[in-house]
Amino acid sequence: MEALRVDDVRKSFRGDLSLRRREVLRGVSLWAEAGEILGFLGPNGAGKTTTIKIILGLLRPDSGSATIFGAPAGGRDAARRIGYLPETPYFHPHLSLREFLEFCGVLSGLSGAGLRGRIGETIDLVGLGPHAGRRLRGFSKGMLQRAGLAQAILHDPDLLVLDEPFSGLDPLGRKTVRDILVDLKGRGRTIFFSSHILPDMEALCDRTAIIREGTVTRSVTLDEIYRLGEGRVEVTARGCAPGTAHDLADYVESAQCSGGETFLLVRRQEFVRTVIQHLYRSGAEVLEVTNHHPSLEEVFLDEFAIRPSPGGTDPAKSRAVGAGAEGRAS
Amino acid sequence: MRAIAAVARSTFRETIREKLLFLVAAYGLVLMVSTWILSPLSVGAARDKIVVDVGLAGISLFGVLTAIMIGGALVHKEIDKKAVYLVLTRPVSRGEYLVGKFAGIMGAIGSLVGLMAVLLVLIMLAGRVEITRVLFAAVALSLVEIAVIAAVVVFFSTFTTPILTSFFTIGVFIAGSLGSDLRAFAQKFGGAAMQRTMDAMYFALPNLTVFNLRSEAVHGLRLTAFEFFAAVLYGTVYAGAMLYFAWLVLRRREFA
Repeated sequence: MEALRVDDVRKSFRGDLSLRRREVLRGVSLWAEAGEILGFLGPNGAGKTTTIKIILGLLRPDSGSATIFGAPAGGRDAARRIGYLPETPYFHPHLSLREFLEFCGVLSGLSGAGLRGRIGETIDLVGLGPHAGRRLRGFSKGMLQRAGLAQAILHDPDLLVLDEPFSGLDPLGRKTVRDILVDLKGRGRTIFFSSHILPDMEALCDRTAIIREGTVTRSVTLDEIYRLGEGRVEVTARGCAPGTAHDLADYVESAQCSGGETFLLVRRQEFVRTVIQHLYRSGAEVLEVTNHHPSLEEVFLDEFAIRPSPGGTDPAKSRAVGAGAEGRAS
Repeated sequence: MRAIAAVARSTFRETIREKLLFLVAAYGLVLMVSTWILSPLSVGAARDKIVVDVGLAGISLFGVLTAIMIGGALVHKEIDKKAVYLVLTRPVSRGEYLVGKFAGIMGAIGSLVGLMAVLLVLIMLAGRVEITRVLFAAVALSLVEIAVIAAVVVFFSTFTTPILTSFFTIGVFIAGSLGSDLRAFAQKFGGAAMQRTMDAMYFALPNLTVFNLRSEAVHGLRLTAFEFFAAVLYGTVYAGAMLYFAWLVLRRREFA
């Protein structure tokens, strides 16, 4: 069952001083199955927040449509099933956290003992228990982000729409949010979120939609990301002679040096033996041979044709991503 | 209805926690107390009239000022800072949101007016000034007048800034308070165009003079129930119409 569907949505805005309209969304289409975590990735200005606002009914599309569990976006039926965390949350500063959640809960149709119980549970879940009676005016950015997540999940919505949920959070806060999202997914909730923090997105998402200049250009699952790297092997060696990378240029896609070690990304499986033999002959010590899987960041950069400069990427990270399929060859 | 009550409660809390409200309330209370202090300078009936006149004028003026200064900022700030997203992405209509906001603002200002009215009555009791039913009718109609102005404020704040909202609403308040006089003046001395303009203004802008019972309260004039309820009905219809126009604007508004 589809929890969310956006079909060929177009949206343009007129500038403050200009009569010409600027097209921000140029036919955005995406969907999320019920129980899925769908990431929404794109550079600043690509149209992520505009798409989210159309899903929420805060903006009307020029053409196309958005539906939530089959109901038109912006209607009461759709709104009942959504929990939303805005990108830069501004909450009523004069209210205490408990008063704020009470306000949000009543608006979502909760009441009485059920509401009070949910408020207590949610405050504890986001780790703000000791601050329940404090006014939001005195909250830090990270605490406000947690309060924002609390109001979004308070009424246990079927679909969570989160705009940059990890923004402003310290590592502990990020872990708390990740754990909550994983728990919600385990209970069958659908989550749609945008983020610039790619490792978090990679760790959480079943699928990621990449938006570029107002169009979703790619939609990849984690399995597809792993398959993108099939056949490519990374060889780690120590003591490589100068010019090794040049000598192996026909067999190696990239070579990076870090801490006395050289990381060679072999173009194809059948070249591995040639590369290893060359390294041994030149007196180098082969430390590790691993299957290489690109990270979501590499897929993202590839989508935007932004190649890392030599030595610019963190080889350790590439290895960590591929750790699941790691295998020693020699 | 529950959504309206929730928005109204939150707005009420926000308003009564505004420092500005305390400042306005303090000025109003000081004005009333100073009336009591200065009234011995005059004697007998004149003293009583000063207490009633200044007291009622203070209630009306400070109530309207509070509506203009706090009401406009409240609605605009929610839209500008995107706090409104939290309400409108829930199963709450934009009409419910507007009515809740208006009710919350009126709840807070009503409390302020009530406080000032109680103080006025205490001052009158202490000064042995006669308290009539017209006095309470005057306070009630001041509240209706404030409701009309608050609805005008809510209307402007759905599409413009707090400064412009204040500017426009003060204009409406002044023109509404002088509308009858300006129309009479134009009919006596103006040309056809001037008369039509003043007629249009008279019917489009709220006629706030119908809510002013200070003369009746000060001079002990009679007030019929019909006159009172007609003024209440007029104010209710006008405020309702302003909220309806505000809803028409907000319903079409997009939040980019």
